[in-house]
Amino acid sequence: MSPMTTAIQPQGGATMDRPSSSSLADVVDTILDKGLVIDAYVRVSLVGIELLTVDARIVVASVDTYLRFAQAVNRLDISQDKEGLPELMQDMEQGGAKHKTKGAAQGVLEAAGEKLKDVIEDYREEPERVPRRSRRED
Amino acid sequence: MSADTKTTGTATRAPTVGIYVYGIVPADVDVDPDARGVGDEAAPLTVVRHDQIAALVSEVHLDRPLGRPQDLLAHERLLDAAATEVPVLPARFGAVLTNQDAVVDELLAPHYDEFRAALEDLQGKAQYIVKGRYVEAAVLTEIVSENPEIAQLRDAIRDRPEAATRNARMRLGELVNQAIEARRRVDARKAADLLSSLGVAVLVREATHELDAVNVALLAETAGEPELVSACEDLAREWQGLVKLRLLGPLAPYDFVARPQPDGQT
Repeated sequence: MSPMTTAIQPQGGATMDRPSSSSLADVVDTILDKGLVIDAYVRVSLVGIELLTVDARIVVASVDTYLRFAQAVNRLDISQDKEGLPELMQDMEQGGAKHKTKGAAQGVLEAAGEKLKDVIEDYREEPERVPRRSRRED
Repeated sequence: MSADTKTTGTATRAPTVGIYVYGIVPADVDVDPDARGVGDEAAPLTVVRHDQIAALVSEVHLDRPLGRPQDLLAHERLLDAAATEVPVLPARFGAVLTNQDAVVDELLAPHYDEFRAALEDLQGKAQYIVKGRYVEAAVLTEIVSENPEIAQLRDAIRDRPEAATRNARMRLGELVNQAIEARRRVDARKAADLLSSLGVAVLVREATHELDAVNVALLAETAGEPELVSACEDLAREWQGLVKLRLLGPLAPYDFVARPQPDGQT
């Protein structure tokens, strides 16, 4: 007779997400421009291997961003305000998917959390889309 | 010190294999024999030791570029796994040296004292990252209700074709972006102040997404993690529905490793 009385959990415990490992977007934010710069310590034996990394900084507001915000505001159903919020959010998430036809860098960043597999496949198909040399000639 | 570099049969030609450096750790580490590094071949992770410090390294082929998602993830995951066990000075992604001797002679030996002191400072600590992302519909709803000009522009474009209202849309989007930036400054500062009160080092990072609310890095004692989690949960509850909050870590202290001195003398 195993009692089934523990199914109801108190509300509010699951407000914060604590992922067990960083998503690709988090990793891009962290390891490309932070950490010990080995170049500064080692000169002679550094090897200039080609890097295919993307630039994490996409926050520079652009025309694209503005038009997207305008569209999102246009879609808001303000009259339903509070009660309609979950519905609204669902609406937004669906709408969001339509906007994922941007450059490779943004594609990686936006999709990375949820769609790592897709991103990896993208990269395999077009590995030379965003190459950049990592070594500075100084 | 003779390095046991495993060269391929082509060793007499220009080198095709380099030594990828992940970071600096105390010499008494053991690596998981199953741990694999960056690159197509995903060579085993190994340790190059010098006295009491060491570098975590693996071989990489030089004829193929690095930087695909699995490379980035391998780099960070190896370092984060190490950081849960020992202090670690994480290297920025992409550092490759010619061979294991160079790792000792150019990296570990000349900077021995500096690296050792830094590792001692990091004993018992790790990095955590708190990230918050605005829930778009919720934050836009608040912004529209707070800002008459935005509300007016919204009415002007309401259900009208995009081409006919482009200027109004641009202005509307610009104002929304400004409003989000202003909120971000307030919210990121609030999170940073709250976390600082726990006695941990806090660094406000640049936003990397247009809906970022909070992006802060912390260097904290891993023993104090329960208090950190609890503080973040309080914040998440306060912002429920408006900001989705995530806590990453323990991680290697990417944001907290010392900047090199620009003297270039070795």
